[in-house]
Amino acid sequence: MSIDETTAPRVDDESRKEGRRIVLDRHGPEYRTEFVDWAQRLHAGPRIAWNDTHGGYWFVNGNQELFDVARRSDVLSNDHDIHNRRRGYKGINVPPPPESSGTIGGFLEMDPPRQRYYRNALNPYLSPAAVARWQPVLDEITRAAIDEKIESGRIDFVEDLANIVPAVLTMALLGLPLRDWVVYNEPAHATVYTPQHSPDYPRVMKMAMDMGMSLFGRLQELRATPRPGLIDAIINADLGGEGPEDDMEIVGVVMLLVGGGFDTTTALTAHSLEWLGEHPDQRERLHREWDALRDSATEEFLRFYTPAQGDGRTVSADVEIDGVRFHEGDRLWLSWAMANRDEQVFADPHEIKLDRTGNRHASFGLGIHRCIGSNVARAGFKTMTKAVLDRMPDFVCDPAGTVHYETTQVINGMRHLPATFTPGKRLGPGLEETIDRLQTIVDEQGLAEPITVRKDRARLA
Amino acid sequence: MKVRVDPNICQGHTLCAMTAPNLFVLSDEDGHASAITEDVPAGQEELAREAARSCPEQAIVLSE
Ligand code: SF4
Repeated sequence: MSIDETTAPRVDDESRKEGRRIVLDRHGPEYRTEFVDWAQRLHAGPRIAWNDTHGGYWFVNGNQELFDVARRSDVLSNDHDIHNRRRGYKGINVPPPPESSGTIGGFLEMDPPRQRYYRNALNPYLSPAAVARWQPVLDEITRAAIDEKIESGRIDFVEDLANIVPAVLTMALLGLPLRDWVVYNEPAHATVYTPQHSPDYPRVMKMAMDMGMSLFGRLQELRATPRPGLIDAIINADLGGEGPEDDMEIVGVVMLLVGGGFDTTTALTAHSLEWLGEHPDQRERLHREWDALRDSATEEFLRFYTPAQGDGRTVSADVEIDGVRFHEGDRLWLSWAMANRDEQVFADPHEIKLDRTGNRHASFGLGIHRCIGSNVARAGFKTMTKAVLDRMPDFVCDPAGTVHYETTQVINGMRHLPATFTPGKRLGPGLEETIDRLQTIVDEQGLAEPITVRKDRARLA
Repeated sequence: MKVRVDPNICQGHTLCAMTAPNLFVLSDEDGHASAITEDVPAGQEELAREAARSCPEQAIVLSE
């Protein structure tokens, strides 16, 4: 090899994109409405495309290709290097957020080993066994949220149920006061669905600021008077002999857990209820055969609706995968949503089959960054769905009042899903009273301790 | 038939234990899976195959 060849600028930079170029605005509303067309087109090739929007990035859409690329943490970086200490990588959003934000997306925007230290610290709060301990609490929050509406025969499944249950449970897991859920609720969703050009954007940013301030305050309290929970684990995490650098880092991690804990489960539950309302025969079948179909139906809704549609990465070393020559510094997007609709893996990929088998969807991501809250999401979804099937089995959604997120750029979410149903009887106290009561139980029983400290389920009686 | 979970590949998606609770156990602490016994009990081979098919990370290794 001559010196020239090693030092010359890479002449192949454009040729490697040949035959792979697309122009797909993931942030436009058409991407949501034309998703199936796009998936079919791209799966016919290029299955790893070069998308000439938002600065240009690889768009990994085929299932096998996604599998081959996403698990290569040796050549992919999640790093969001806002202080420019390393290589200036831009994290997991394409395009990256405005520079001013000052926080990163917790350990989802870190690479190992730091990322692994955090996960090791938090896993004992979020493992399947750890989450199972909370089931009585989940049931009770769900019961109370439904009781608020059951006598009226009307509910907005998003606002009155699917927003509330994951939010209250997330507060409990974090070790925050349960009633703080209202501080986080609106901003956690609105920051996702409000685009920067919206007239409402300043108000949403203000709410997000207030939420940040509230959290800073709570951090001080938790330092002074420790309480068990995820935040305690974060504050005291052993990150290879040191702790978190500052409160900004801690806030970033907490906000990752809030963002992950709230909007995704809401999105999954709302979409699934909408579909069940449109398919009353399938709804009856799911209710009737709940024990047999519960798990497969949950995975199928996860696959089909893919709440978190994808994740960005930066290529950290030159590498060839599936015939594509990636260069260090290239940006890429792992489209979990598209890979989940690949007919090479899923028969009739654009249909929902409640009993689908072999459903190895990528909705929680693949590889070392697998959603750490996946067990919480599944438990929340199953609890809410079962309660709706039991208590309002004849619900009819109102398409005129249904509002989907305008775009699916971050989360494939819903803002409203109003429905009517035959009114029923309340089973217990309302939400506020229930939350107060649960707070006492959480505190007295130390429910937010990790599974390593406390193995028993919550006792409500 | 023999079954094992490659611990370097498993990320704790839990689908194996959901599919075949008699064959796989999840760690309490991090949810990562391991096979309960190396030898798949007679009659459970199809379940083992189904679990392997369902694993998003393809971490389940079947042999013979
Ligand atoms: S399904 Fe695969 S990744 Fe998930 S726990 Fe089982 S072996 Fe591990």
